[in-house]
Amino acid sequence: MKVFENLNIDFISKRKIAYVISGIFILLGLLSLAIRGLEFGIDFKGGTDIALKFDDPINISEIRNNLEQLGLGNIEVKTFGGESGILLRTELQSIPAEVYSDVIAEIKNSILRYEPAAVISVSDSAINAVTFKFAEISVANKVETKLQNDGYQTSRLDDNNIIIRVGIADWIEGELRSTLPDNHFVIQKEDHVGPKIGSELKQDSVISVVLALLGILIYLGFRFKFVFAIGAVVALFHDVLITLGVFALLHGVIPNLNLEISISVVAAFLTLVGYSINDTVIVFDRIRENIKIHKTASIKDNINSAINSTMRRTIITSLTTLFVVAVLLIFGGDVLRGFAFALTFGILVGTYSSVFVASPFVYEYVQRTKKNIQF
Amino acid sequence: MKEFRFRILMIIGVLAFSIYLLFPTFADIQNTNKIKKELSLLTEDLQKSNPTMSEAELNDLLQIREDSLMIIDPSIRENRENRMKLGLDLQGGMYLVMEVNTAKLLEKLAKDPDDEFKVLLESAAKEAQVSDADVVEILASKITLAGKRLSRYFGSIREEDADIISKLKEQESDAVTRAIEIINNRVNQYGVSEPNIQKQGSRRIIVELPGIAKEEEAKRLLQGSALLEFKIVKESNFTIPVMNRIDEILAANFKNESDSSSSNVIDTTSTSDLTEEQFAKEHPFYSIAIINPQSPYADAYVKESDKNKVTTFLRRPEVKNAIPDNAEFLFDAKPFTSQEGVNIFRLYLVNKEAELTGGVIVDAMANIDQQTTEPIVTMQMNSEGAREWARITGSNIDKRCAIVLDNAIYSAPTIQGKIPGGSSRITGMADMNEAKLLQIVLKAGALPAPVDIIEERTVGPSLGQDSINKGFNSTMIGFFLVAIFMIFYYKKSGVISDLALFVTVIMIMGVLAGFQATLTLPGIAGIILTIGMAVDANVIIFERIREELTTGKTSKAAVDSGFANSYSAILDSNITTFFTGIILYQFGSGPIQGFALTLMIGIVASLFSAFVVTRVIFDMLVAKGNKINIG
Repeated sequence: MKVFENLNIDFISKRKIAYVISGIFILLGLLSLAIRGLEFGIDFKGGTDIALKFDDPINISEIRNNLEQLGLGNIEVKTFGGESGILLRTELQSIPAEVYSDVIAEIKNSILRYEPAAVISVSDSAINAVTFKFAEISVANKVETKLQNDGYQTSRLDDNNIIIRVGIADWIEGELRSTLPDNHFVIQKEDHVGPKIGSELKQDSVISVVLALLGILIYLGFRFKFVFAIGAVVALFHDVLITLGVFALLHGVIPNLNLEISISVVAAFLTLVGYSINDTVIVFDRIRENIKIHKTASIKDNINSAINSTMRRTIITSLTTLFVVAVLLIFGGDVLRGFAFALTFGILVGTYSSVFVASPFVYEYVQRTKKNIQF
Repeated sequence: MKEFRFRILMIIGVLAFSIYLLFPTFADIQNTNKIKKELSLLTEDLQKSNPTMSEAELNDLLQIREDSLMIIDPSIRENRENRMKLGLDLQGGMYLVMEVNTAKLLEKLAKDPDDEFKVLLESAAKEAQVSDADVVEILASKITLAGKRLSRYFGSIREEDADIISKLKEQESDAVTRAIEIINNRVNQYGVSEPNIQKQGSRRIIVELPGIAKEEEAKRLLQGSALLEFKIVKESNFTIPVMNRIDEILAANFKNESDSSSSNVIDTTSTSDLTEEQFAKEHPFYSIAIINPQSPYADAYVKESDKNKVTTFLRRPEVKNAIPDNAEFLFDAKPFTSQEGVNIFRLYLVNKEAELTGGVIVDAMANIDQQTTEPIVTMQMNSEGAREWARITGSNIDKRCAIVLDNAIYSAPTIQGKIPGGSSRITGMADMNEAKLLQIVLKAGALPAPVDIIEERTVGPSLGQDSINKGFNSTMIGFFLVAIFMIFYYKKSGVISDLALFVTVIMIMGVLAGFQATLTLPGIAGIILTIGMAVDANVIIFERIREELTTGKTSKAAVDSGFANSYSAILDSNITTFFTGIILYQFGSGPIQGFALTLMIGIVASLFSAFVVTRVIFDMLVAKGNKINIG
């Protein structure tokens, strides 16, 4: 098959159109970043994430109402993996002190409901576990089985003492078990992230992206000319900015597409940086070759012919990569969706920018400085 | 054809080696399925024959059967050890990041802390939460600001502040080492398979526990203070009769069980050796807990593979009744390796009541004895402990005293005489490492290592399996989409690139298995992404060859210059991507590192495929006189 055979488009002369398009996208991106902002996941904010899978489809708003009555403040509820899965999120790390005594009282009540004659006392209560002391071992045994059946996580300190875990996740789960007794669920995943980790991660993310850009700048500076390196990094910056803008613009808009910034999304951005540079390097490599061969040709012709002759390759490789990330986006499941989206969109922008941003940048530089580039 | 022989051999070699590395993974998948099937059959049988059986009993029996299956066929264990590891996000489990709470440690270390100190410490701890600086440094500067010297609270009066700071930091790092040992010890006893515990930075510990279902249990393993105890080991004239009784009880029980009804649970022996089988039947306990008749001690030697079985034996109620109330069986914390290379745990019978707990230890130090050049550990106790210790050692001369941390024995030295001053020397360690370990353990009694869980991630097994399925399907769909597209677009040359792609994927998997790297969900995403990107190099080469052909070159010349002219572009673009892979690896933890790793391996593999596999096929086609035609 021969698509784009003998392509001959004067890309450089049309660069102004590209500037306008890029400008609009960047402006839109900046605006949504400023107005809507990014939605950060618990990796960055700290908090608790719980993913549950129910046996039967569930009604999200019903769950939302139930959980509001817990007094734990704002608990986000989203779908996760089809219509019987939910993702719960709270920024709290543990049950707030003012609710904790209610929690203990309620556990005590349920123990007394199982065994009205039980003689119990609270022998220890820590931030996420409470220990009940039972006068009789046989009662303790019976109660422990019942507690476990009700979904409490228990363990034995010794024969008489049962430790019951009351982390914030358990409490939410317990509530759901009692309000939806007929619809059983399993815990798919549970994440707790402390606030300190989050702030460190933010720093690390920024450092890594900057480091990646810097590394590319230095490497390409060595291999090509410094202006090429800057052109490439400007294009990468352009890609990252626009993709970030899309994350800001679309989070919470499309159902089933969770566009929050998590570690894996940051990984996707770094990958994007690494991938998007490929196209740019291929074009640059051809410009370099053209400049070596056609010493007398104008820089404009050399750049144009480089873009034209590599166009087919640019499109085919972007297409094959788009195929696989689209597959990931559709079939990869919720865990990878944000990651796959960042890459899918990023590859589109990246392909565009290697043709319409990076090379024109080099051209502008040559135009303005009137310098001759030679390899 | 001669000129291609080397390259073809190399390709075949690489492929064969990759498949060889992948073999244990395939075998393990099959073994796991086989064992699962067998166990579910057994579960059915057991539930039919004995419907009242409790879950714990059932699990014990299942565990025994699984262990025995593993013993009958040692290749099962071997394959499992060499298979590609699955990350926690794929097989389910817990991932925790813990941090030593330096503020708590400093509070313990301070000499008569006054109110002012407490205020300073509290504000230092708060400040440390938002800054990179260490609590020690922040506190030191605060104390100095308050016009005091550090030696008011730490160290001795003559020491400079800088010395004290470095000593405190040492204490901090000691605490991490201690915490790691404590966690290691507990996790090993709990029987978590393939745990991973490692130090991160100076104050953090990363713990990965695959397949842990009960979070609370896992957390109890990790938090809570460690219990160090000194327990006198029972002498052999006490221990031997107890073991005899256990052996008899078990033999009688198994006889009953196998006589009565259909239960065939315990018949797990192989058919290899009848007398051994006979012995195992008559002496179920002694056949796996072996006593050396020549030794003055009655320690039983238990192979690592039999440890679970012995534990289950000891948990049976009828066996429990045979053990005197004042004694209990405890295992070594760490196995020693026998001459045959088998890991062996000693099983001791010790006094249930501890003589002394570790709280009395003030300090412990591993050293080399000046005279004998043997490693020794010296240990100091406080005055109250020293008094007790003198009494204990005085009345137990020639007996052994086990050093027990969280119910596992680290050492059981013989008491050689009364120790009056509270300062003891322990000798008999094999090497300095063992002495260092004992020092850590002894200190665990003196100074707890307060750790906080600062990050915790749990993935349930169902989500893990779901992720594996989705990952596998996506890889397949992605591979075929790309493969079909390449054939559609490049026709015959497309087939060549698909072949190269196939080699790439096999190589990635092989290298992952060979390095015993962990495959995570993002790692699978990395493979998928590599599939899309791997054809990149081929496309560049094909397009270049096509261009060369249009200038009227012969097939051979076009192929040669096509490859030659693509090198720089392919290398430059892949090196930059590889570079971001390295950064990604540095940046991320667990799953993300898996992604970075597959991405980097994928880049190298696809370069090999493009420059070697694709090239040799083209060269062969040209040599055979075929006309090269791209698309």
